[in-house]
Amino acid sequence: MEGDQETEVYTLVARKPSFDLPTACPNCLPAYIYLKLAQLPFELAFNSTFPDSDELPYFESGTYVAYNNEDGGVIEKLKKDGIVNLDLQLQSLPEYLSLKALIVSWLEEALTYEIWVGTEGISTTKIYYSDLPWVISKVLFYKQTYLAKNRLGITKENAEQREKQIYKRASEAYEALSTRLGEQKFLFEDRPSSLDALLLSHMLFIIQALPVTSVLRCKLLEHSNLVRYAEKLKSEFLEASSSSPSPPLHSFPSSFPRKSSKPKSKPKVEKTEEEKKFKKRARFFLAAQFLAVVIYVSVMGGGSSEELEYEDEDD
Amino acid sequence: MANPTEKPEPIPSKPKLEPKDEREELEDINGEEEEEEEYEDEDDGKPRTREDAIADRIKAESLFRRMRETPVAVRVHDVIVKGNEKTKDHVIEAEVDVLRQATTLQELLKASNVANFNLKALDIFDAVKITLDSGPPELPGTTNVVIDVVESKSPFIGQVGTFTKAEAKSSSLEGSLKYKNIFGYGDIWDGSLAYGCDHSTEVGLGMSLPRFRGRPTPFTSRVYLSTQDWLKFSSYKERALGLSLGLIASKYHELAYNIAWRNLIDPSQTASRSIRRQLGHNLVSALKYTFKFDQRNSSLRPTRGYSFISTSQIGGLAPDSRTLRFLRQEIDLRYAVPLGFYRAALNFGVAGGITFPWGSEYKSKASCIPERFFLGGNISPVCSLGGPSALWGFKTRGLGPNEPRREVQDDESCDTYERDFVGGDVAVTAFADLSFDFPLKWFRDRGIHGHVFACAGNMAELSENKYRNFTASKFLQKFRSSVGAGIVVPTSLFRMELNYCHILKKQEHDRAKSGFFMTFSTSS
Repeated sequence: MEGDQETEVYTLVARKPSFDLPTACPNCLPAYIYLKLAQLPFELAFNSTFPDSDELPYFESGTYVAYNNEDGGVIEKLKKDGIVNLDLQLQSLPEYLSLKALIVSWLEEALTYEIWVGTEGISTTKIYYSDLPWVISKVLFYKQTYLAKNRLGITKENAEQREKQIYKRASEAYEALSTRLGEQKFLFEDRPSSLDALLLSHMLFIIQALPVTSVLRCKLLEHSNLVRYAEKLKSEFLEASSSSPSPPLHSFPSSFPRKSSKPKSKPKVEKTEEEKKFKKRARFFLAAQFLAVVIYVSVMGGGSSEELEYEDEDD
Repeated sequence: MANPTEKPEPIPSKPKLEPKDEREELEDINGEEEEEEEYEDEDDGKPRTREDAIADRIKAESLFRRMRETPVAVRVHDVIVKGNEKTKDHVIEAEVDVLRQATTLQELLKASNVANFNLKALDIFDAVKITLDSGPPELPGTTNVVIDVVESKSPFIGQVGTFTKAEAKSSSLEGSLKYKNIFGYGDIWDGSLAYGCDHSTEVGLGMSLPRFRGRPTPFTSRVYLSTQDWLKFSSYKERALGLSLGLIASKYHELAYNIAWRNLIDPSQTASRSIRRQLGHNLVSALKYTFKFDQRNSSLRPTRGYSFISTSQIGGLAPDSRTLRFLRQEIDLRYAVPLGFYRAALNFGVAGGITFPWGSEYKSKASCIPERFFLGGNISPVCSLGGPSALWGFKTRGLGPNEPRREVQDDESCDTYERDFVGGDVAVTAFADLSFDFPLKWFRDRGIHGHVFACAGNMAELSENKYRNFTASKFLQKFRSSVGAGIVVPTSLFRMELNYCHILKKQEHDRAKSGFFMTFSTSS
């Protein structure tokens, strides 16, 4: 690596995939979806040994790095540095700010609570600790649970009250978002924004990564238009392979399992243009091969075919 | 004072005058100043006559003449331990087991020397005295060995010193507090605080046992919490909480096991790509075997002899496949040739090392940064026995594979380095050093001497499929080298060198320049 110049490839470094999500970490998924909504080609790399880091996810290109703990997060930093900005002319809208406040405060709180307290961290092993030895993962789990409770202001005395408050706020937020969205494709006008990335990632994580018994999951599934919105965006932007040079990492289920967290139906993969092209070319190749064999047999092996006819006549 | 026994006579009176060599040997056994011996006969209260004294002298001389001419057969009947109130008998007896194997008086005197040394090495006694007494009268030709020990009155002891530890890769200043022999098993407990030249700090609690479950070698264990700050050179900090166990420690062999939770962080958030990818937590479970053969006459200023050290490490020894898996091998060969004038000597040294991950997809995996080799620093290659580490003229982690750091628009960063040195999977160094005394007696008396040196070294990456780009010719082409001369000033704590180095060859981005440098080294 002495003196080598790095090529300018966009890379998002996130935590490892699981639950049929490209990255199972709820902090990394918004950035991934944002880049997908922006249709920016990028590669995905993983860091699976730093579950308690607030730097992840980070976006890099050459010597440029946008860490998640700077300037309000990766998405805000990408907007600020002019890499990709989906919120042009939206940021000044009062509705944008109020919805953003709703998503990044109440919904994020609810998600944090549900992961670490509500479901007792049942999903965290696959999200954060799959590549760490048991001893380290146990200690980090207790550390992160403690920090999450601190961040949410949960104590032994107010635990029940705080839980009710968090779930109530989450319900109200889902109601408001459902009303705001209606049957629209995106939250704002006819184009994706960073709020769509945040909301979509929140929903995908809750539906796919949290267990069926999760209270928050049940509350979210009550709003069918939100679920349809998530399904539509997922199939359009996430399941279609990106235009980045790297091959798709996983195939995602086309429908959400309403009752269980594991998809029962076999996942369908939409054929992309590239795959169609490839198959077309393969057919042409096979056809050419067949034609060559036929020509060879007919031109070079003409004597033997006459013998066959002769034998047939005997019969 | 040892009383030689003579078969079949009972205990002779203690001789007052002895031949010089035996007297010295007998003095050594106790390790104390010789005291005037009193004759046994004085216990009777009768004054000794001149004839008695002469008779004793003749007897002693004849005994020592016999000892010089032929082995005097003797057998150890019993080992009696006195003076140990806290220390268990078996702890002392285990260290003096060598006495029981002696079959002659000469062997017994030598064995007593060894036993005395072993007991002193336990570091829990203020004084040790070994006396050879006659055995029971009904068993002629036997002797009882009486071991008198004086246990340390003050179990606490504080120490400050400079060391070069195996885990650390440079010299360190260490202060420690020891509590000795709490449970009477020769156990020594210590708490220590060390600060290293490589910006490392370590807090540790250790315990050592001279014997553990009948094993012949000492057992040491150490719990440590260490941090190493490499932000300036490689944009990361390393924190480790670990337990190291010294399983075998003999003159040539050392086997240790280390298990540690290691965390690499980058508070500055300026790390280069390779370093960024490795930030996080790791569990290291590694076995380390060291073979050391050092026949040099000194480790700080060798003028004669040779030494060889080989260190092999295997990491990932745990049922959990998620521990760090790596192999590491280092060798170091030194040779010192005396030149016969002004105590001059030519020192040669060659060192090499290689590290590689193992396990599935090992060729494409990156080797762990802390296990890689880094060259350069303010230690002298002459003193740093243990593998490729130092090159005169090159700064700490100042050469080898490097990558650009994250671009930062902050003006304050203009003074810092723009590149991270990420280390190499293979490293080779070599040096030649000619040391000589100065003509002035003032310098010679203080051990201050001069030296002229030349060194060369290089590193390369092999992991992450980079071995495909590695060729020996390219590796040799990129060898760095320097020459120089300087003055060496040995102090009680370390060896200091003030050198002028001229860099003969370096590569782009290497942190090295010709000029004056100081190095500080301790005995390794």
